[in-house]
Amino acid sequence: MKYAGLVLANLGRNKLRTALTGGAIMLAVLLVCVLLTMPAGLDAFLNNIASNTRISVHNKAGLVYAMPYAFTRKVRQIDGVAAACAFVWFGGAFEEAGRVTFPNFAVEADQVGAVYPDYDVPAQQLADFERYRDGAIVGRATMRRYGWKIGDRITLRSTVWPVNLDFRIVGEIPNDRSPLLWMNRDYLDEALKAKGRPAGLGIAGIIWVRAADPERVNAIMRTVDELSRNSDSETASETEKSFFSNFFGSLKGFIAIILLVTGLVALCIVFIAANTASMGVRERAGELAILKAIGFGRRLLFATLLAEATVLSSVAGLAGVVSTIGITKVLHVFAGWNASLGPLGAFIVTSSVIVQGIFLSLFVGMLAGVVPAFGAARKPVVATLHEVF
Amino acid sequence: MDATPGAPLIQIRDVSRRYVRGVDEVHALERVSLDIPAGHFVGFMGPSGSGKSTLLNLVSGIDRPSEGDVIVAGQRLNDLSEDELARWRARHVGLIFQFFNLIPVLSARDNVALPLLLTKLDKAERVRRAETALRVVGLEDRLDHYPRTLSGGEQQRVAIARAIVTDPDLIVADEPTGDLDARNAEAILDLLRQLRQHFGKTVVMVTHDPRALRFVDDAYHLDKGVLLEGEEAARAQEAIRVSAGAAGARGPR
Repeated sequence: MKYAGLVLANLGRNKLRTALTGGAIMLAVLLVCVLLTMPAGLDAFLNNIASNTRISVHNKAGLVYAMPYAFTRKVRQIDGVAAACAFVWFGGAFEEAGRVTFPNFAVEADQVGAVYPDYDVPAQQLADFERYRDGAIVGRATMRRYGWKIGDRITLRSTVWPVNLDFRIVGEIPNDRSPLLWMNRDYLDEALKAKGRPAGLGIAGIIWVRAADPERVNAIMRTVDELSRNSDSETASETEKSFFSNFFGSLKGFIAIILLVTGLVALCIVFIAANTASMGVRERAGELAILKAIGFGRRLLFATLLAEATVLSSVAGLAGVVSTIGITKVLHVFAGWNASLGPLGAFIVTSSVIVQGIFLSLFVGMLAGVVPAFGAARKPVVATLHEVF
Repeated sequence: MDATPGAPLIQIRDVSRRYVRGVDEVHALERVSLDIPAGHFVGFMGPSGSGKSTLLNLVSGIDRPSEGDVIVAGQRLNDLSEDELARWRARHVGLIFQFFNLIPVLSARDNVALPLLLTKLDKAERVRRAETALRVVGLEDRLDHYPRTLSGGEQQRVAIARAIVTDPDLIVADEPTGDLDARNAEAILDLLRQLRQHFGKTVVMVTHDPRALRFVDDAYHLDKGVLLEGEEAARAQEAIRVSAGAAGARGPR
């Protein structure tokens, strides 16, 4: 600690340069942390929406291929299954938007509440959903986005089925991030029959299953897939987290690019900081020669020079991390004010992001300082004196 | 480093120093032998390139000879590694340079206390010793001043305080008056003499300054890496006295 005064005094030698270098490091760490919140945000999102007891059952050939609706009943009878609900993609476009702007599914009104008890839809609203054929339960994100409220009537034009359906909103999924809309399967079934399709709906796009016990999830998935083996619609079962992780698979490439950019930003800042450290060492060649001459050993000189770069980088990095937390909090507030700014609320600073930011700044400081510090320290004192005097 | 006054503190035995510069080998010193008694104020004089600074570097443990031995208070410096030499210098040698070379971001007190960072003294003791050293050189009223607010003479005094703060037996000064006006140069030479007289320090100085002859106990003359002896040394000394007289007639700078 007795050398701390010397290290701090040297950092204050050229205040403007120290401030500019610190500012560059701070901004870089801020940028890196903000970028890192995206993968962290996706992970948090998956953890938030995915239950460890829920299973997705879909056609092995792909999500666009359906399964016979009757298979749902077979799944429901499997030992360990607490509830199962068939989902069919409706692809409804809200009349004002003209395109599909939120996910909407036809579901079994008497089953969906049992499959999603963690969604905390009030029992009365679930009961209304069962009672009214044209009832719909809508996620709070979509409710806010369009300014809907319970009791409102809306019309969706299906981009998949040859029907336009009117709905009355009877319930809300009380989750700020939920964009879902559930409609009664029977309502769609009847509408299709009325449109000249005597078989009605007859299919299930995905069957969502809730296991009674997380321990039994793997066994249930094996049994479901075994049950459909050699049929026209073989199934592939997976956990909810795995399903959404695959569903958002395209985001993984995007995240890989984000991580690549993050790495390049970090590398750039190492070069900037190393350049500053080199300039500082070069300017002080005379002083360093004197320090060597009066007895400062090579290791001590190396350590103090390295400490200068590391202290600057760490303080700046810490400021960058704190700024990241502040900025994301502000973004969350903005996202709450205006539904169209909703994605801004997706930046989640996890403790892992904070630790990575702090380690990055330490790494930048040490890497930036090590080369000039080593170069200054390793030269024999007489060679240094000859160079500068 | 215990040294009896009058006994040789520094023994230089057949010392040569050669550098390789590009494809050339430069003979900076050739077979120099010399004893410097403890408690003496000694000047190395000679024209540029004569090897006097090289000799000073060898005596202070900054450099090592190509041949021969440099023994200071019984310690053969040739045997020490770069790091061992650094530790030896920190303990036994006080260094003064022509251009003062103070750390601009440290106060006079902190500059003087720098060598004490290498000791086990606590902060209060380091400060106390630094202030004592500054009092010795007459700068007790400049403790908190930064180098840029001090005159050249005051900066050199701070450098001298830094050199004596560890209480070394050997003080080595390389052109300490080279960047000072006549009045300050005389004051610095007088201060070095006082260090020898009142504190028993051995002072070895390289200088071009003819005024130094009035202050030193012994002056050694070098030319082209060779230590002049006998009539050659007397002629060199006389030439310096003449130039000192001429300089005196012109008055101080």
